[in-house]
Amino acid sequence: MIGTKSFEAIVNGEQVKLNIPQNLRLIDVLRNYLGLTGTKEGCGEGECGACTVLVDGEPYNSCLLFALQVQNKNILTIEGLASYNNLHPLQESFLEHGAVQCGYCTPGMLLVAKALLDKNPNPTREEIKVAISGNLCRCTGYSKIVDAISAVAEKGVKR
Amino acid sequence: MTIGKSLPRYEGLGKVTGQAKFPADYYMPGMLYGKTLRTPLASAKILRLDTSKAESLRGVAKVVTAQDIPGENGHGVIFPDAPILVEDRVRSINDAIALVAAESEEIAEEALSLIKVEYEELPAVYDPREAMKEDSPLVWDKGNILYHLPIRKGDVEKGFREADVIVENKYSTQMVDHAFLQPEAALSYIDETGNLVLRVATQYVHWDRTEIARALNININQVRVVCATVGGAFGGREDMTLQLHCSLLTWLTKRPVKMVYSREESFKAHSKRHPIYMKYKTGCTKEGKLIALEAEFIGDAGAYSSWSPNILRKSAVHATGPYYVPNVKVDAYAVHTNNPFTGAMRGFGAAQPPIAYEAQMDLLAKELGLHPFTIRWRNAFEEGSETATGQILETSVGLKETLLATAKAYGWDVEKLY
Repeated sequence: MIGTKSFEAIVNGEQVKLNIPQNLRLIDVLRNYLGLTGTKEGCGEGECGACTVLVDGEPYNSCLLFALQVQNKNILTIEGLASYNNLHPLQESFLEHGAVQCGYCTPGMLLVAKALLDKNPNPTREEIKVAISGNLCRCTGYSKIVDAISAVAEKGVKR
Repeated sequence: MTIGKSLPRYEGLGKVTGQAKFPADYYMPGMLYGKTLRTPLASAKILRLDTSKAESLRGVAKVVTAQDIPGENGHGVIFPDAPILVEDRVRSINDAIALVAAESEEIAEEALSLIKVEYEELPAVYDPREAMKEDSPLVWDKGNILYHLPIRKGDVEKGFREADVIVENKYSTQMVDHAFLQPEAALSYIDETGNLVLRVATQYVHWDRTEIARALNININQVRVVCATVGGAFGGREDMTLQLHCSLLTWLTKRPVKMVYSREESFKAHSKRHPIYMKYKTGCTKEGKLIALEAEFIGDAGAYSSWSPNILRKSAVHATGPYYVPNVKVDAYAVHTNNPFTGAMRGFGAAQPPIAYEAQMDLLAKELGLHPFTIRWRNAFEEGSETATGQILETSVGLKETLLATAKAYGWDVEKLY
């Protein structure tokens, strides 16, 4: 039996303190302990990007991280991006441009897009494509996703 | 009011905020975790199945084998020939042998490793062309050919005699997985009225319900299948995977059960696109008018029927492509092998023939020194055309318009190409 250890981090702006098994992945803590099921598992081996979360502003595959690797870090999941009543411009743009189909890649796509725009508010289409290159959309809605991110970039919105 | 307007996606808000519930996003207090034992063999007889060690593992609530199924042990969208759990004869790699429900995923995994299965390996066949032969190992005692559709129009021999150019070739396509992004998952439980509820991402809610009732030997109105948000499907969620397994575990334990497939198990469990071996003989006049076409399709159905007859029928109907041919002979077969079963996937049998018939068009054009546009233009379906199966295309035939738009986009001088 694998022992437990204390895990502390800031998740979506809130301090979290838990006792967790040492071998638990970050995605499992988010989904099974914190109920943040917006983070999706698609492949479990870092190929698809559906489990993307931001750790100190950088996108990471949460299926490839042990939770204890992000001890005391600042973690943002899709639930922390905005609320139902107050959408992030990227969320509005995804809806407006038809960039959402089955929706399984959407949380990860939105978070990599946010990470990109926070660093580079005016990316080219090529830079957007590179930024989302680790995130698969099996509905193959890539051009609409790039359109949606571009539209926000053109408005120069930073939040 | 809404025709001609672009409306916001109905469930879009839930999807951009992470609130949309895919089946793995459901949890229930006291739920068990279900896991499936699959066979690594493609063709075998089960001699002995010992679940006693798994059953005595602490935290295991239930181990289920074929004997525990209260109703019929079979499912399928056309014929119920896929076993829910194999009783004695393994016909395909990854066939499900046993189920475990346990207090945690880890315990369920461990329990699977404690189940002992003794097999006698049997001869297998992996190529549908081999499987059609008299001396092939039999996947099913009734024979391996599941379906044959002949299409005959005009006199194909006469057509070839009148042809100026004939091109003859073989083509084949490979097995493809849908790889929808959301691996299969489900949560089942007994509700306050004693009925079974299953939350799952499916393309076939009402059929799932029918088959679950049949397997559990209960009335259809005792089963409620609720479709969760579906993370892609592309045909791959038409056949059942974990629906019956999850339902069985709940029905036999009376507890909520959650099953979530890994990507690897997802690949193992659901259907694939049919590999089709195609033989084509196409003849045309020196003006580039098609005059005769003969095609044979041999589709690999894998071990279980799924939609194979309907899919090979569709391949056959699409054999000429969108071109008028007066003399046609098509034979389409769906043939069982010990490969993973094949079923619906985008195009449903219409995606494979273009590999062959369009290549044939290019080769004919090359033989005749015609532009690829020209040979297609001269044979293209238009309103009033008759297909190989005798259908008169009465309305909405946009092929020539599309050809023109495409040619213009390429910058071709179409005036010279008609």
